[in-house]
Amino acid sequence: MADKLKPESEAEKNSGHNPSRRTFLKGVGVAGAGAAIADHLLLNVEAKSVGTEQAGARPAAGRVNLALKINGQKRNVTVEPRTTLLSTLRNHLDPPLTGAKLVCDAGTCGACTVLLDGKQAYSCLVLAVDTVNREITTVEGLGSPENLNAVQKAFVEHDALMCGFCTPGFVTTISSYLKKNPNPTLAEVREACKGNFCRCGTYPKIFEAALAAAKSK
Amino acid sequence: MQQQPPKKKKIKVPRVVDGIETMVEIEVDDVEGPVWGPNDKHTLLNHHLPRVDGPVKVSGVAQYTYDQRLPDMLYARVLQAPHAHARILSIDTAAAKQIQGVRAVVSATDEGAPAPRDAATKQPVVLFAGMPVAAVAATTPEIAEDALRAIKVKYEVLPHVVRAEDAMKEGAPKVESGGNLEPKDKRGDPEKVAADLAKCEVVIEAEYRTPIVHHASLETHGHVVDFRGGDTATVYASTQGTFTIPGDAAKELGLPQSAVTAVVEHMGGGFGSKFGIGIEGQLACRLSKLAKAPVHLMLTRKDEFLFAGNRSGSWQKLKAGANRDGAIVALNALQYQLGGVADGSQAGQPYVYEVANSFRERIAIHTHEDGSRAMRAPGHPQACFAIESLVDELAYKIGMDPIEFRKKNLKDPVYHRQLDRGAREIGWERRNKTPGGGAGPLKRGMGCAVGTWGGGGNNQCKVDVTIARDGSVTAAVGSQDLGTGTRTFIRAIVAEELGLKMNDVIEQIGSSKLGRANASGGSTTAASLAPSVKDAAVKARLAFAERVAPLLGGAKPEEITFFGGAVRAGERSLPWKQACAALPAAGIVAHGEWVSSLQASGVHGVCFAEVEVDVETGHVRPIKMVHVQDIGLPLNRLALESQINGGMIQSLGMALWEERVMDADLGIQLNPGFGDYKFPGALEMPELVSIIDDEDTREAVIGVGEPALIPAVAAVPNAVYNACGVRVRELPITPDKLLMSLMKEAKI
Amino acid sequence: MKAFEWVSPTTVQEAAELLQSGSTARDMDEHARPIAGGQDLLTTMKEYVTRPGRVVNLKEIKGLNRIDGDARKGLRIGALVTLAQLEEHAVVKRSFPGLAEAANSVASQQIRNLGTIGGNLCQRPRCWYYRLEEAYCIKKGGSECFAATGENKYNAILGGGPSYIVHPSDLAPVLVALGASVNVTGASGKRVIPLEKFFTLPSEGSIRRENVLRNDEIITEVQVPASAFAAHSTYLKFKERDSLDFALASVAAAVALDSGKRVTEARLVLGAVAPIPWRVPKAEAFLAGKTLNASLMAEAAKLALEGAEPLGKNEYKIPLTQTLVRRALAKVGGIKT
Repeated sequence: MADKLKPESEAEKNSGHNPSRRTFLKGVGVAGAGAAIADHLLLNVEAKSVGTEQAGARPAAGRVNLALKINGQKRNVTVEPRTTLLSTLRNHLDPPLTGAKLVCDAGTCGACTVLLDGKQAYSCLVLAVDTVNREITTVEGLGSPENLNAVQKAFVEHDALMCGFCTPGFVTTISSYLKKNPNPTLAEVREACKGNFCRCGTYPKIFEAALAAAKSK
Repeated sequence: MQQQPPKKKKIKVPRVVDGIETMVEIEVDDVEGPVWGPNDKHTLLNHHLPRVDGPVKVSGVAQYTYDQRLPDMLYARVLQAPHAHARILSIDTAAAKQIQGVRAVVSATDEGAPAPRDAATKQPVVLFAGMPVAAVAATTPEIAEDALRAIKVKYEVLPHVVRAEDAMKEGAPKVESGGNLEPKDKRGDPEKVAADLAKCEVVIEAEYRTPIVHHASLETHGHVVDFRGGDTATVYASTQGTFTIPGDAAKELGLPQSAVTAVVEHMGGGFGSKFGIGIEGQLACRLSKLAKAPVHLMLTRKDEFLFAGNRSGSWQKLKAGANRDGAIVALNALQYQLGGVADGSQAGQPYVYEVANSFRERIAIHTHEDGSRAMRAPGHPQACFAIESLVDELAYKIGMDPIEFRKKNLKDPVYHRQLDRGAREIGWERRNKTPGGGAGPLKRGMGCAVGTWGGGGNNQCKVDVTIARDGSVTAAVGSQDLGTGTRTFIRAIVAEELGLKMNDVIEQIGSSKLGRANASGGSTTAASLAPSVKDAAVKARLAFAERVAPLLGGAKPEEITFFGGAVRAGERSLPWKQACAALPAAGIVAHGEWVSSLQASGVHGVCFAEVEVDVETGHVRPIKMVHVQDIGLPLNRLALESQINGGMIQSLGMALWEERVMDADLGIQLNPGFGDYKFPGALEMPELVSIIDDEDTREAVIGVGEPALIPAVAAVPNAVYNACGVRVRELPITPDKLLMSLMKEAKI
Repeated sequence: MKAFEWVSPTTVQEAAELLQSGSTARDMDEHARPIAGGQDLLTTMKEYVTRPGRVVNLKEIKGLNRIDGDARKGLRIGALVTLAQLEEHAVVKRSFPGLAEAANSVASQQIRNLGTIGGNLCQRPRCWYYRLEEAYCIKKGGSECFAATGENKYNAILGGGPSYIVHPSDLAPVLVALGASVNVTGASGKRVIPLEKFFTLPSEGSIRRENVLRNDEIITEVQVPASAFAAHSTYLKFKERDSLDFALASVAAAVALDSGKRVTEARLVLGAVAPIPWRVPKAEAFLAGKTLNASLMAEAAKLALEGAEPLGKNEYKIPLTQTLVRRALAKVGGIKT
């Protein structure tokens, strides 16, 4: 695998069209190829369970069985160690929970925000295997269309959503924040929301809704 | 009674192709149709209506395309070329196919694959870094990612060019066989303009640039193609045009178009980038066909930046002259539009201004970059930024109030009234009298700018309103709601017409099995759809009235009124449900068509901005923004305020932070993620004031998604100048640029 | 993200051994990595910039998530203490305000709820080229720093070459200013490293890394000594975008003042302008024994940026950082500007 980070193709090296540093562009297609295949051999390993009782210095690879606590329910799921909590919720749970949205997949937008033991976390930056024994709350766990929580209700009333793709992240973020600070100022609300991004431009209404939700409680 | 065929009249309407609107002439019936009535007499429309899809969206149960989960569904990923320009020599997918869980692999070297090819060798070619070259479908997203990396592609790397300046040079690598410069339009007499400029008392000559910016829709492009090898397929799509999907998909799947159903239940933003199935849809169809299983192919964020389009950049060389009295006499404009492998777009100068004598030439410069697509008001913010900066510069040079200077060169009185309104709202009299004046490092300033848009509709929407015997009411049309509030206004129009509450009506949208509708581009949705909904609702009401007339003492149908959940004639009234019981078993179905008189086209729009510049750091803090927008009949004031806010915010992003950054040598984008492509967040928000200009009393629907975005991109830079006395002519105005300009101009 | 094996040891020693036995690959970016909050590690793994075959979870190790001490004794901060814990801790806020400010300045509540002090110190650079898998740059084993002649507005103006990354940590400048050190455990033992010696310039240490940690070593604790200046410390961070962004430049400042408001000792450390937290001893020495005023602070700011060598697109960092130095000094000196 020593060649993994070298320019991948003979054609490129010999093309004669590379007077610049472009030769340093790595062929994405080749890197990790061997690794990918080798790693998949691990899939043949019987899925192991990861939980407190098994926690310890025994490596878990391939697929692992997890018992997660999500929205007050125990949910069993089998994933790989590399599977993020977000991917687990959306793609691996059956039935899935798709309220948390995959948008940036890099901890830079907030659309996947869930609560871990009540605190906001980017579920794209948490591995599912790392959430065993934690209370996971997604937007679905905060309220249903028929029974919205105060923040959700205020979002609807104040038009704090447009396309709605950032909305679950804002709702979880603000719902958790208001528990910590039940009477925030506008400046505090803005600060609390600085890890959540909206492209339609609903921020002013989100601030309104957050303040209204705080008052309504 | 024999019906005379109605008289016809010809009108011009906007048609949207790939998000760009062009005007076409159509023939419509010249008859008295339904009317909206005075704008201030509505019971639901022109009120603040919470959007009806709010509850499902705030609770996470709304099903977007990204959220579709089907039995045996596979997850797909796309492999991209790392080179800006190359020939593909071979693609080896054998190792990828061996990975456990991989069900299908397609590549650019497949027979008939959707890929650009070298005219001579027929080999697939790469025209920009990030171009898709292969795709895989596997049982989990994680496995699909592994499979991508097992694909081996051999490239012959070719020389590339990603900067406009470099693309213009002699001997530059050619992006298109015809050359990198493509003339688009030329208007006016340059010699006469030059002669006039020579006589002008005040002349400004300057270059203005706007970078390529991204739509950055939170839901990426993509589809879930449900085709299991049978006679039919369903394609869930994140699209701005439900009806742009089946034809494209059918072609790839080898099915008749009628066998493909497109579904767009909820949609996470498009801003002009989502029409047709695109390369990602083609790949999804191919994978689904190959695997005989549903395929979920949603682009990653990086994919989205690299090959899902953008707003073209601009480079405009302007020279304008004015007289001391404030009249702009002459303008010469060389407008380059920077659309990568596509053409880009730019409104022609002098944009909205009335200049006695002007010459403009628009030229597309091609580079090895992903092609631009339509983006919310295509071509307008670029043109607006340049001309509104130039106009501001002229005003200051002459020493005139920038508002007065604008009024002098804008004949349309609507602009005058909107400028006055905006000035009042922001407190224009408080502005920095001397740009850069005032003590201390924090300096405040104000600026303004104006824009224009069409916003009319066309005759593509067909709506069915059904009143069932149990009293339920449904309005059905295949249109899509991008987050603009389509669902809500459909419901409101029908409910108001029938005297019902919002919750008494259900809207069905987002399926190509329902009545046809236009794609949402060019702010044409509201003006196309609302008249058809109104027409259907009116017809349903009249048919209903005829049915219930006997129950109301034989009243004349036209005398029956509908309000407060009841139907009434004189002293008699019937609760809605009771009246519905008189309907036949099938209920009433009324079909609505577009009525041109229920919509209009042509809006203005002004924006004012106040900012605070820290002249010791180059930081710009937006303080307040005001946008005044004429709109005719506002369907839903709440959603409109949101939409205008959103326009200002996106425009603010373009003014201060957003840009695609390319490395010229590597030919790659350096910031294809939300951490590095910086659009505004919670702490960037100024106080935002959306003003619906109710002095526009047209009883007609007009779309304003686009005009809401246009002028802020110039108002903010003008405010920066007023604050600190430095004119930044290249967006975005980031601290590095502003601070260095301040240093160079010795303002600190 | 490449597949890996996951292991959760319960002792530091076990963790170190698992890191050591998981670090046999030829390329160091494939060696085993420890994970605490994972807020940076997972981003580099998703982009395949790091590709560990084993990820060693540190969170099952007991006792690493506590803050002990006070203004008199100094602080002992477990490596697993989160940034949220740090910014909300009463003693830290009162007696080490610069540290609380720095913790609070990081990213967003989501990141701070999980991100740890150890992870913050060990986070990898934000350089565009480094973060893009396609750009095979010197930090990733290539031979060139593309930023040197490319798009470098975020890169180093001090201490750069042959790589021009800047260190992204917000805590590091403050902790260096406060004279902190880290306790480190590896497979073959423990060591205490003054933070100032922990970070390495690309011209000195491994160009592939930003600090002296061996691959089997983990930070277990950060020690912040009691000092006369900790209570007068601050951290000023300037971001291009106020919401969720890294610093374009930052300054940690701390001063000890005598009863006559004279500076007896000063610490000034610049962030996001050099590959390491950049301490400026000359400016510190210049301030000692003087009473802060506007011209003095301006002079110190000039001294702080002495020797800065901007690349093509980052000259602005010089006046920007000078401004931050002046403002940070004014703040810790209680001077109204």
